[in-house]
Amino acid sequence: MVWLSRAFGPARVSRWLPAAIIPVVIVAGAVIAPLGATAAVDLPDIAPDELLELVATCEADAFSGTIEQQSDLGLPDLSGFSGYEVSGSEPDIASPLELLTGSYSARVFVDGPDLARVQVFDRLAERNIVRNGDEVWLYHSRERTATRLVLSADDTERAEKAVPDAGEVPTPGQLADRVLAELDPSTAITVGTDRVVAGRSVYELVLTPRDRLTLVGSVSIAVDSETGLPLAFEIVARGQDAPAFRVAFTELTLESPDADLFAFEPPPGATVTEHNMQEGPRPDLGAGETPDSTVSGEGWSSIVELSAADLPTGLLESPLYTAATEPVDGGRLLSTALVNVLLTDDGRVFAGAVSPEQLLDTANGR
Amino acid sequence: MPSDAVPTKAVPTNAVPSDAVPTNAVPTDAPRPTGAAAPRRASGAALLRSELWVLFRRRRTWALLLALAAIPILIAVAIRLSSSPSPGRGPAFLDQVSQNGLFVGVTALIVAIPLFLPLTIGVVAGDTIAGEASHGTLRYLLIAPSGRVRLLVVKYIGAAAFCVAAALTVVVAGTAVGALLFPIGPVTLLSGTTIGIGEALARFLAIAGYVTISLLGLSAIGLFFSTITDVPVGAMTATISLAVAGQIVGALPQLEWLHPWIFSHYWLGFVDLLRDPISWASFGDNAVLQAGYLVVFGALAYGRFLTKDILS
Repeated sequence: MVWLSRAFGPARVSRWLPAAIIPVVIVAGAVIAPLGATAAVDLPDIAPDELLELVATCEADAFSGTIEQQSDLGLPDLSGFSGYEVSGSEPDIASPLELLTGSYSARVFVDGPDLARVQVFDRLAERNIVRNGDEVWLYHSRERTATRLVLSADDTERAEKAVPDAGEVPTPGQLADRVLAELDPSTAITVGTDRVVAGRSVYELVLTPRDRLTLVGSVSIAVDSETGLPLAFEIVARGQDAPAFRVAFTELTLESPDADLFAFEPPPGATVTEHNMQEGPRPDLGAGETPDSTVSGEGWSSIVELSAADLPTGLLESPLYTAATEPVDGGRLLSTALVNVLLTDDGRVFAGAVSPEQLLDTANGR
Repeated sequence: MPSDAVPTKAVPTNAVPSDAVPTNAVPTDAPRPTGAAAPRRASGAALLRSELWVLFRRRRTWALLLALAAIPILIAVAIRLSSSPSPGRGPAFLDQVSQNGLFVGVTALIVAIPLFLPLTIGVVAGDTIAGEASHGTLRYLLIAPSGRVRLLVVKYIGAAAFCVAAALTVVVAGTAVGALLFPIGPVTLLSGTTIGIGEALARFLAIAGYVTISLLGLSAIGLFFSTITDVPVGAMTATISLAVAGQIVGALPQLEWLHPWIFSHYWLGFVDLLRDPISWASFGDNAVLQAGYLVVFGALAYGRFLTKDILS
């Protein structure tokens, strides 16, 4: 350390000034810049019902942008289960789970109700979902597989109602619609602080459950003040400050994307499969819509019960299941910040945005 | 002041290791500033020219570049001799190589960027100042007034030039050996779109540019370490260790808040240039991050080098 004492002689201090000042400037800039970007803007006041109407009358149906999803559900790290290590044997289990519980960025291109493309950016790979009218292509660059689905009229209608089923990756708008449809008197609706999302000023619609039993603290939807397009969706778990789940645009252009983007041709060398929508399992994430489910409780704290036979085959044998769940009295529990799922030893499944104790009570008939 | 136009290795000392450039490497055609007009600039350019000349005349530099070129060659030969791997196994794009030789360069970059490229950069950047000091040539380079800043800048530009050469070596050698051993044809991008060979080659050049930028931050770190010590091996080891440590930190989910600040955070982001349309976001973020490292470690190197007692 001799050089230190030499280096800091009185005449030499000035030589070290840049080295002292520059990091301070960079850190200060890094702290201040995000504050400026998310600084509160002052929009004209708006009532909750006017804001809901603004969303309902949203006419921006052609746009392209980048979406970031972050979720901090308190799940064990599942990243070891996705990627190429297990993809050969279990292609379909890790992927939808990871899409919902992971953090990733994706590009979205939408032109009207019939043309849409989502590109999920993976590490050194990409998953594409291209919808062009009745035709949907799923392309996975790592596996080099292309799947073609043709939607029947039924499916088209269904896809318009709940696009996540067809597209796997919900945009903030689709998620917002889903939540708004389920609103009932159990929820306090307020307008939160005006903010900036993806460079646009937004109103914030905040839904706070009146029910004290649910794990959901609040749900907030950022609505573009000009077009009414939902730009961000976040769920905060009860008692937490940071959102447990967040999908938000980081970049948005309200112009029709290049038409070539929606004309997908499977590349040479790719394995192409045709998927018959009438038979076989759908690429579906909505386990709650399985026929034999019973719902107990109501509103935010309702608990869904179904039979383990309805779960995707192979799920209970997968190492993913063992890693993600923990043993409890009479079964195994998948515990997250927002949702708990109990799989009892006698083959029943209970799920709800409530505490594990309530699930156990329901399972035991109390 | 033509004296600092004398190339760095011109002074023969008995400390010169065997791989150093022989004394006949003195460029006899190095222009000397003739008039009184702008002598400083002229000598700066001459210093840079002689630095690049010496760097790319060294046998060690060529050995490093040859080692980098060996990576795509090994990959290509191994795949040529064995059966084609199935999709999803091994490094990304590996399974595509046997159908399209143009992917050899990209596959080799993915293999080289975590260790081999930082290793060569560490050797070159760690040697910049410490190498001169250990050869006893540093003080001859600093006779001119304010010569230290100029020498620091020239040394950094030399290291950056090596970054360009290193990235280009992997990409060009990979594409060439791929074209030699495998059929080539239109390239399938990550998004499933197929582009022609010409556009693919242009994108590969852009990737080489991305990789070069990725390595500039590490070069600045190496330059700073090189000003601390008179032992080049110490500076090289420190730089390479930091490159590895940075990637270990980058792999720990517990330190996620730190990840965007680590110089290696966007190193694999060059694949964003293989999406359709090209996603330039990581290119910009990477450039900003590397510029930050360059400024911070440049300032540290400046502070250290200008207050250093040059004894050799």
